[in-house]
Amino acid sequence: MSQFLVTGLNGLSYAFILFLLAAGFSLTFGVMGVLNLAHGALFMFGAYVGLQAVDSFGSFWVGIVLAFVALAVIGLGLYYFFLRHLYNKVPEQAVLTIGIAIIVANVVLWIWGPRAKIMQTPPGLTGVIHVGTLAFPIYRVFIIVVGLVILGILWWMQDRTRTGAIIRAGMDNKEMTVALGVNYGLVSTLIFLLGMALAGLAGVMGAPILGAYPSMGDNLLLLALIVVVVGGTGYIQGTMLGALVIGLFDTFGKAYVPQVALFFSYIVFLIVLLVRPSGLIGRRVF
Amino acid sequence: MALLEVENISVHFGGLAAVSNVSFNIEPGERLALIGPNGAGKTTLFNLLTGQLKPSSGKVLFKGQDITHASVFARTHMGMARSFQIVSLFSYQSVLVNALIGLQGIHKSRYGLVKYMLRDQELQAAARELLESVELWDLRDEIVSSLAYGQQRKLEIALSLASKPELLLLDEPSCGLTTSESADITTRIKELGSRITVLMIAHDMDLVFGVAERVIVLHYGRIACEGTCEEIRTDQLVKDIYMGSRKGLTAGSGGKL
Amino acid sequence: MADITKGVAVDATAPASRRVPRSLVEVVAPVAVIAVIILVLPLFIPSFVSSLVTKMMIYGLFGMSLNIIWGYAGIPSFGHAAFFGVGGYATGILILKVGISSFWINFLLAVAVAAVIAAILGVPAFRVFGVGAGNTNPIYFLLATIAFGELLSRMAIALRPLTGGSTGLAGIPEPDLGLGFRITSGRLYYLTFIVVAVCLYLMYRVVNSHFGYALRGIHDNEKRMQALGYNTWLYKYTSWIIAGVFGAVAGIMFAYFGSVMAPNSLAMSTSDISFLLVIMGSSTTFLGPLVASVVYVGIEYLASVYLPDRWPIIFGALFVFTIMVTPQGLGVEILKGWRRLVRGAS
Repeated sequence: MSQFLVTGLNGLSYAFILFLLAAGFSLTFGVMGVLNLAHGALFMFGAYVGLQAVDSFGSFWVGIVLAFVALAVIGLGLYYFFLRHLYNKVPEQAVLTIGIAIIVANVVLWIWGPRAKIMQTPPGLTGVIHVGTLAFPIYRVFIIVVGLVILGILWWMQDRTRTGAIIRAGMDNKEMTVALGVNYGLVSTLIFLLGMALAGLAGVMGAPILGAYPSMGDNLLLLALIVVVVGGTGYIQGTMLGALVIGLFDTFGKAYVPQVALFFSYIVFLIVLLVRPSGLIGRRVF
Repeated sequence: MALLEVENISVHFGGLAAVSNVSFNIEPGERLALIGPNGAGKTTLFNLLTGQLKPSSGKVLFKGQDITHASVFARTHMGMARSFQIVSLFSYQSVLVNALIGLQGIHKSRYGLVKYMLRDQELQAAARELLESVELWDLRDEIVSSLAYGQQRKLEIALSLASKPELLLLDEPSCGLTTSESADITTRIKELGSRITVLMIAHDMDLVFGVAERVIVLHYGRIACEGTCEEIRTDQLVKDIYMGSRKGLTAGSGGKL
Repeated sequence: MADITKGVAVDATAPASRRVPRSLVEVVAPVAVIAVIILVLPLFIPSFVSSLVTKMMIYGLFGMSLNIIWGYAGIPSFGHAAFFGVGGYATGILILKVGISSFWINFLLAVAVAAVIAAILGVPAFRVFGVGAGNTNPIYFLLATIAFGELLSRMAIALRPLTGGSTGLAGIPEPDLGLGFRITSGRLYYLTFIVVAVCLYLMYRVVNSHFGYALRGIHDNEKRMQALGYNTWLYKYTSWIIAGVFGAVAGIMFAYFGSVMAPNSLAMSTSDISFLLVIMGSSTTFLGPLVASVVYVGIEYLASVYLPDRWPIIFGALFVFTIMVTPQGLGVEILKGWRRLVRGAS
């Protein structure tokens, strides 16, 4: 039983890392229709920026801020110079961003070398919390809390703010939104920045658990896209649900049926595709 | 026996009934027009008939067979065809290829993997006949996107006729055309002969009154009234319905529903 | 595509004898020229070059097989390596684990395996095709196809006894053509040439058949195709299997060529090559991906000689360059030039 609970907590914290990873991905493609397949590679880049910052400045928090800012800047460049010109050309966006992902992965390899790095758990977040006879690592609880805060903020933005209203309107009818005098371009740019910045944040937060290595981008990208497809696009709740399903399935799968753990989440993914192609919580766009 | 029987058909989007309890029949050879102000549910009803949408309740019978759940292409094979409000062609192909693709849709050769389609003499001859009927044969090598709009409209009609339908569903066939082009389309529809039954949606009242023998007025997803052109023209209810949306009656290029 | 259409357009009124399809000049002639060059080439060039040419042919076939669905039917599959890898793995497993040595039997069985896998994966793939932003932007389909390749590659890692796990299968022998005739690595060049040439011819027939034109129609306007009486799902599904089979043939030849098969031959990094070739070579011409393959393998070779560590970055930059600078594709430019040359001469 206690084994089960610890696995559950691990699964939950993993789910929140997945959520942070996928939230940015889902925002950019569910909301703006921009498919950024470099998301995983940029997440990885964020992790490396964080690691470097911890090395140079000795502070985890500086690392988070730096990764957040660095990725926002990269996101701005990526959107402004490339993706903006490929509006509504999803296959082209995909090809372009795959190229960028390959470049990013190899630049990271060039700068930081091929060895996997793992970040020390930041001071202040080490140790465990004792609940009865169980011991939960504080850092994992921290991830869950941060994940919940981000979820709350995004949910609030989606349902309660003008930006959210613009986004929802834009999802239904971009021309209409533009005709109403809304600066859709600016909102799109900001959403893209936010999505990238979230990837940076998640990269650093995940570094003590996932580590960082140059080839992790592809794996992360696949996880993000599985989460998004399973959860359904367009709503942050969907992404959260997808992350929970995949995070828990994956963690429990590894713990109890390790033989198939390697592609357990893909099986879930295939089943969802067959049964509910628009995702668990998704807009049915037929 | 009626060619098309619509029985109590309804469809809901969320809680909203877009079409509710609509019933009507079309007799073979008849020309029926479906009119109504914007948002009346014409296009939705049309999509229910073509199979693009499935009704929440009710039945559609074609030639006595229940086709409520038949796919779009199955309906075509049974003898229904449609045109599209927004010209819907293969715009990167030549006019000839458009006609060939259109013709082979109900042809058994359409799954052929080996023979070159362009050398299919039977199809070529049929394409020539089809294109000559709309005066586009001379333009057969032009890429469709380079054609004038009026010519694209004609090709649109030709493609709807390519499957040799018994029932032709026309969605705003004169949409966006000039008056003279529109008159040309009116003549063409009239000339189809009694072999082809026509149901059309139209905003253009010249077209409706020029072609239709019977008119159904749709309002808020229901049939508000139905009758001959003369009856509809003088009907007080119809006037009331259109009073608030005068635009809907005249603007041929009016927005989509 | 428009170019092809016009190129092969035939005047139905002309008597049969006078009908010389322009395709003869534009497609058959260059193919024949290239074929002759390729056949006599090994006499003049060092063997490492003929091995490069072999690779060009295999990758060319790989790209062209994807182009059947991507370019003609407008189905952007990002997991085409799934079939490439399945073809290669099936060959390796049949030789090394099952013990069938005959090239012909292996070939047929591997193709059959790939067709079955394509038939299975096609069901979920086309279930999501219209989901997302509609058929013009099949985001879900795109993501699903990426995941297929990855799923298969993970299965290849997990099924160690059969597939050799993460190190893959090594030591795939040279093809045994039967009658005691085993092809040496130098002559693999000719075998590849024959296989690729036959596949090219078959694919050419397919894309210009009734079926092939229906695929073009679906690319342009799927709704209209349905209204015309086409079961478009069946077309997309069938074309997916056809593309998968030809992709698998490329994989089979690649297994013999490299004599190893690793899990990443099923994964994204290999799929990347296939759609780079399609985009680079232009999805609107039949031979585009083959032309792109020549350029691609050439650049890869030069990079491996002069900038051995930087090849992956160049590879990535090729994607960006192609999309941003030559979205029409290099192949289309080269073919246009060829047409101008032919028309100018005649």
